[in-house]
Amino acid sequence: MTVPNTVYIIIFLMLLALPFVTDSRTLLIMFTQIFLFAIFAMSYDILLGYTGIVSFGHAMFFGIGAYSTGIILKQYDSTIPMLLMAVLVGAVIAGIVSYVVGMLSLRLKSHFYAMLTLAFSGLFLVLAEKWRTLTYGNDGFTFSIPDPLRDRLNLYLLSLILMVIIFLLLKRFTHSPLGRVLQAIRENEDRTESLGYNVLHYKVIASVVAGVFASFAGSLYVLTLRFVNTSVFAVDVTLDALLMTIIGGVGTLIGAIIGAGLIEFAHHWLSDLAKVHWIFERWIIFFGILYIVVVMFFPQGIVGTIRLWWSRRKGTQIRVRKEKNISS
Amino acid sequence: MDVLVNLTVNGLATGMLIFLLAAGLTLIFGLMDVLNFAHGGLFAWGAFSGVWVYSATGSFMVGIIAAIGTGLILGLALERFIIQPVYGNHVQQILITLGVMLVLSEMIKVVFGPNQISARTPSYLSGSWEFGDIIIIKYRLFIIIIGTLVFGAIFYTLRNTKIGLIVRAGVINKEMVQALGINIKRVFMLVFMAGAAMAALGGMLLGPYSGVIYAEMGLEFGILAFIVVVIGGMGSITGSVLAAILVGLSGSFMAYFVPDLALAVNMLLMTIVLIFRPQGLFGVKG
Repeated sequence: MTVPNTVYIIIFLMLLALPFVTDSRTLLIMFTQIFLFAIFAMSYDILLGYTGIVSFGHAMFFGIGAYSTGIILKQYDSTIPMLLMAVLVGAVIAGIVSYVVGMLSLRLKSHFYAMLTLAFSGLFLVLAEKWRTLTYGNDGFTFSIPDPLRDRLNLYLLSLILMVIIFLLLKRFTHSPLGRVLQAIRENEDRTESLGYNVLHYKVIASVVAGVFASFAGSLYVLTLRFVNTSVFAVDVTLDALLMTIIGGVGTLIGAIIGAGLIEFAHHWLSDLAKVHWIFERWIIFFGILYIVVVMFFPQGIVGTIRLWWSRRKGTQIRVRKEKNISS
Repeated sequence: MDVLVNLTVNGLATGMLIFLLAAGLTLIFGLMDVLNFAHGGLFAWGAFSGVWVYSATGSFMVGIIAAIGTGLILGLALERFIIQPVYGNHVQQILITLGVMLVLSEMIKVVFGPNQISARTPSYLSGSWEFGDIIIIKYRLFIIIIGTLVFGAIFYTLRNTKIGLIVRAGVINKEMVQALGINIKRVFMLVFMAGAAMAALGGMLLGPYSGVIYAEMGLEFGILAFIVVVIGGMGSITGSVLAAILVGLSGSFMAYFVPDLALAVNMLLMTIVLIFRPQGLFGVKG
């Protein structure tokens, strides 16, 4: 099933018009959150969905972007050029870190990599807690942002447009010959290796691309909060990306966006329900159970399942991603 | 001298607690090729149920039995409903057990409340012995003894019993064991339950050792156990006991001599080991 481009354009125009038809600040903030988490989830999907790498340390890059932006805007002027520099610094650091971590651990089997990234992001969390002169530890710090972005509407539009640009960029990336190699690695690593591709090299590229875009999401995130603390490095942030990608549908960028929308929306909605019954305060349980069910029964996620259903209805065969055994 | 002895005892005690957690992890991985990210959740559940029963009944031993029971039951349920459907698929295993971890630690907050719970040492294990300048805290010695006993029991079972033979054979070739008429699925389940029970025991023993238990400790110690398993070499019991002691000792010595490095020392250890020996100190698989 291919959705006609006009549908995407219509949705984009509707989202663009949204702030001009509603005054709801909460809605505006929620959608801004959805856009930036969609960027984060798309970057995670490059790893999980397109290359078949499970990382548990994606929060590390989100946090690097968040802290770089926060620290630079706090220490220097909060002007637009300074912001651009901050975002760039975050992206460069994220790129270097993802390169080093990738080179160190991507030659290992999938589960070692998952563990190592979990431990590495734990290291960053400790660093942010201990380096108090720079990060103010667990309490975090507030900072001011450039004037034009103080307006919620501008921030909303910026996030929306950035999301679309990054979507198009990543779509281009995944459809490039390089992206095809990544998908080949996902499908069968040994075969790709025996075809003469240097698998490690390509995996590291995927990890750097994912790290840099995750850092953008982190920068945007702290811009909406004007505050940063160690929670940006928490495992929960990685889990959010995982949930969004898996529920939306792995291996499809649009799935990551839908997943981000669903999770953020459900988060707000379930948190509101906490007034009705205390159990909803523990909404993570519902997500956890939903997530387990999705991994077990709908490994393709929403988008993948719909695609499968659609192709069955039309009676055409579609190549289904085979679940495979990564290591033997 | 006295400082060195005290640090060593501390390190050994922490190491033995981590070993209880890592032993199950490495056995499950070695035999079933399953990386159980929910293992820390079993640890936390053992701690909470054990300490809860302990404070309700006043008997430490009953608390320990309750913790082990919780581990066995949770292990059984996990293996049957979560792990079995995803055998052979690593990515799905990693994803699904992480989800279980999430649910397990949130469920602790629902059942036992969101606050941390304090745990006291039973009267007969509190206090310490003094030999000149050397102070040996009884409870730490108790943990070391229990850890050594558990290690001895696993080692003996693996080396000298029929079930140990089956497990060792299963690690090498599952299909062959199955072909010989042994129900390997039953063996998987038993090993998983034993691993879960050890994790739960570790959690319970940690309670009085650290004084407080909290829902997030599952993930925290889970990561530590993974580090130990990676350093020791996946699937090797001897490797995990030595790595656990190494991690425990270096943690306690670093905390005393170079406190700034203490939190990073495990990561550094693991990174160094992985660079020079990706299969771990005692690992055989590359």
